[in-house]
Amino acid sequence: MKNHFTRREWLAGTGAAAGCLLLRPSLSFAATPLSNPAPSLAAKAPSGRVTVGRCKDYGSDLLPTLEKMLDQLGGLSKLVKGKTVAVKVNFIGVRWQRLGNATMEDTFWSHPNMIAATVHLLGKAGARQIRVLEGPWSTAETLEEVMLSQDWRPEDILRAAPNVEFENTNYLGRGKKYSRFMVPGGGLVFPGYDLNHSYEDCDVFVSLAKLKEHAVTGVTLSMKNIYGTTPITIYGEGAGIDEPAIRPQGGRGGVFHAGRRAPSKSAPQQIDPSFSKDQGVRLPRIVAELNAARPAHLAIIDGIRTATGAETNYGSRPQAAVNPGVIIAGTNTVATDGVAMSIMGFNPLADRGTPPFTGADSTLRFGEELGVGLRDPARNEVVGVPIAQALFDFAAVRERILREAKKT
Amino acid sequence: MAIGQQSVPMRWTAGPLDIARRQKEKDFTPEIAEGLRKWLDPSLLASLQGTPVNCLVVSWASGLPTDAEQQQALQPLLQKGRQAGLDFVGLVEGPADKTAAVAAARSAGLSAVAMEAVPPGNLGIPVIAWAKSGQALWGAASPVLGVSDGLWPGVPQEKTPTGGPTNLPWVDSNGALLAMAQALAPGKPVWIFVNPPLQAKLTVENYLLTVADTAAYGGRWVISLDDQMRAGLAAKTAQAAAAWKKVTDLLAFFEQNKASGTYQRMGRLAVMSNFSEPDRVFGEDALNMLPRLREPFRVISRTHALAASFDGLQGILYVDQEPPDSKLRQKLIAFVKAGGTLFVPSKWPDPEGSQIQLSSAEAYLLFNVRALGKGRLAVAREDKPDSYFTCMDVQNILSHRGDPARLYNGASMNYFYQASAQGRQGVIHVLNYSRRPGSDNALIYLKTPYRSARFVSPEIPSPVALQWAPQTSPYEGGGAELSLPRFSVYGAVQMET
Repeated sequence: MKNHFTRREWLAGTGAAAGCLLLRPSLSFAATPLSNPAPSLAAKAPSGRVTVGRCKDYGSDLLPTLEKMLDQLGGLSKLVKGKTVAVKVNFIGVRWQRLGNATMEDTFWSHPNMIAATVHLLGKAGARQIRVLEGPWSTAETLEEVMLSQDWRPEDILRAAPNVEFENTNYLGRGKKYSRFMVPGGGLVFPGYDLNHSYEDCDVFVSLAKLKEHAVTGVTLSMKNIYGTTPITIYGEGAGIDEPAIRPQGGRGGVFHAGRRAPSKSAPQQIDPSFSKDQGVRLPRIVAELNAARPAHLAIIDGIRTATGAETNYGSRPQAAVNPGVIIAGTNTVATDGVAMSIMGFNPLADRGTPPFTGADSTLRFGEELGVGLRDPARNEVVGVPIAQALFDFAAVRERILREAKKT
Repeated sequence: MAIGQQSVPMRWTAGPLDIARRQKEKDFTPEIAEGLRKWLDPSLLASLQGTPVNCLVVSWASGLPTDAEQQQALQPLLQKGRQAGLDFVGLVEGPADKTAAVAAARSAGLSAVAMEAVPPGNLGIPVIAWAKSGQALWGAASPVLGVSDGLWPGVPQEKTPTGGPTNLPWVDSNGALLAMAQALAPGKPVWIFVNPPLQAKLTVENYLLTVADTAAYGGRWVISLDDQMRAGLAAKTAQAAAAWKKVTDLLAFFEQNKASGTYQRMGRLAVMSNFSEPDRVFGEDALNMLPRLREPFRVISRTHALAASFDGLQGILYVDQEPPDSKLRQKLIAFVKAGGTLFVPSKWPDPEGSQIQLSSAEAYLLFNVRALGKGRLAVAREDKPDSYFTCMDVQNILSHRGDPARLYNGASMNYFYQASAQGRQGVIHVLNYSRRPGSDNALIYLKTPYRSARFVSPEIPSPVALQWAPQTSPYEGGGAELSLPRFSVYGAVQMET
């Protein structure tokens, strides 16, 4: 049995340490390198309009609530009529790992009804084509297959509007080449990124995210959702050394979290190869860079049902499936995330050392410094349900879980 | 009692031969030698009283000068053991003079000998064919088949984090080997020889997992204790006695729940192969990979495939480079024409059907797909494709739409599903290779739920009735889920229509 080099043994030797890395968020408080290569970008960061809506579940109230919210942003037609719209959804992590009995869509993933409602409204507003995109964990499977693995009906999304299609952006997909997106100002960690063609072959880009905390970056909202645009064939553990791999293998932890390996040489390389290996330093900058390089025109955050504690099920963390019953939408990701953080009970102006950024720098700060948007709700126009009325205190849920755990 | 289905074997490591063998190990100490001498003491057989263990495998001959001394030293143990109704199997290894060893075994009244190369002819004593899995003599006329290189099951604990690209941690399991054995040698008892890893700090859960990882799959682990456990039992420590009781209770549990041993494995996919060279590694890899992809499967021996039922199958992964004979090919093609999907190697001669033009997004697939009748013939593009990606593509081409069963919240678990011939009873075995309860209850999803379900495990005092929760996802419908109580090593869901 041991005289052959089996696939099992190969996997055991080289497998995706990335996944394990993801399970070990940094708790270090390493000094934050101050590096904004282009301070003028911050001055140009636009203010945005953000709307907040209440919706208790994914039933019949969802569509009118979302439609009203998008009208409050100025209406979708102006943005999408006759355009190709790309919607980046969130199917993070291992699909077989739920939070207790709760389904993925009720905790960590974009809910299919939220996706369908968004698609429907985009179609109603005249979008020429709507492309639902995601790079789900370590697979080249179609998004239909990923949905079917959770018993969703992908047809409901495909039929929610004319001309809807899906693409898994973990690899080259339907494109002939990868598209390069450069970071304005030259970048903080990477000068640019090579992404699946879908992020270039669109007129309008939408980040459809989930309202969640994150084990490393504190929160994962519409900004962090864009991290998942990076193809595993270039930025994964199994990425090709010189050229992108044919198919995705592994997670992004080795390249992005830990700086343990470089992306395929065909893609832009790290500006400073000796840059910090602290994921709490790296990830906020990388996420902000991606938002600056491929800005979203519209951010929608699904906070109807979600999970507290982290972006996926870590097992050992105090986490709970919750029902904040809220949707946040806005015209740029930084502004939208700032409002979302306020609703979660966090200060959007907080930075490393203050919850939720206990082990990381603020992604929002770097988003602001790279000119994506302004994180302070007071500097943006916030409409719809007042933040105070939509408040759902994520930290309080965690404290309650810990208190109850102590009792038992 | 004749060696066979009813035999519950244990490796009884004791005497000069085992001392001589252990002396070659770098961790050898006088205490270890003393422990091995102590285990010659027939009074230690008392630890087997009331347990299912009824067969002891002893070192008999290794071609060393100590062979005769060993055989002599074992005499009191053999005598007392036989009085207690125990069978003894003599292990004949290496360059031992097999004829002499067999003669000595007959003379000493052993029930059988186990040896790697089985000499021809009637030796006057049953011989257990004992070999590495790759050289196993599946067709041997042996009461039991012994595999000498079983895996010590668990999540590998190398220095670096390990795992597959599925992000589920890798697990070492004997499940693939035993699934293969059951297809190649149906009804034949298979004994897995694997010793506890030296210098490892073992817990009782290590032993329990090794028992479960073989028994659940229909095999037998030839129980093998580490030095510490043997010393503890010899010294009659309470800790060792408690651990040993747990091990033997688990053996008894599997003896009491043997009914499912006759059930058929369920899955929409069959892996068909003779698992012989040059296809053995790929085939065995596939059987290891599919559980990690959460794809339930059954195994069909190519030799027996003409007689096998393809009912309920949606796909067949035909592994062997050698094409099937014309009758089997006809049967396989009929399966495709009726709507199935057949996955074949690149060397499949004159593929039937017409090529389906795949989209550019499917260019990564390791198969060219051809339309044939209501089904598809998927021909591998490469002569030596990667086994993991092959399994992924098989699953992808079959589609999750037809998933008969799923397991959630069991990253370190494997499961398999069996049903009785009439389908009235079903059982889902779940093995936890982390050896500790998960933070969340594992969930089992079945596309076609049974009327009732209960959870049994040696870790709980009595079965727990389970309630089906209809899949609340607004979607495909039809399925339902069960939330399992948390468990450390093994549990099973027993179901009835």
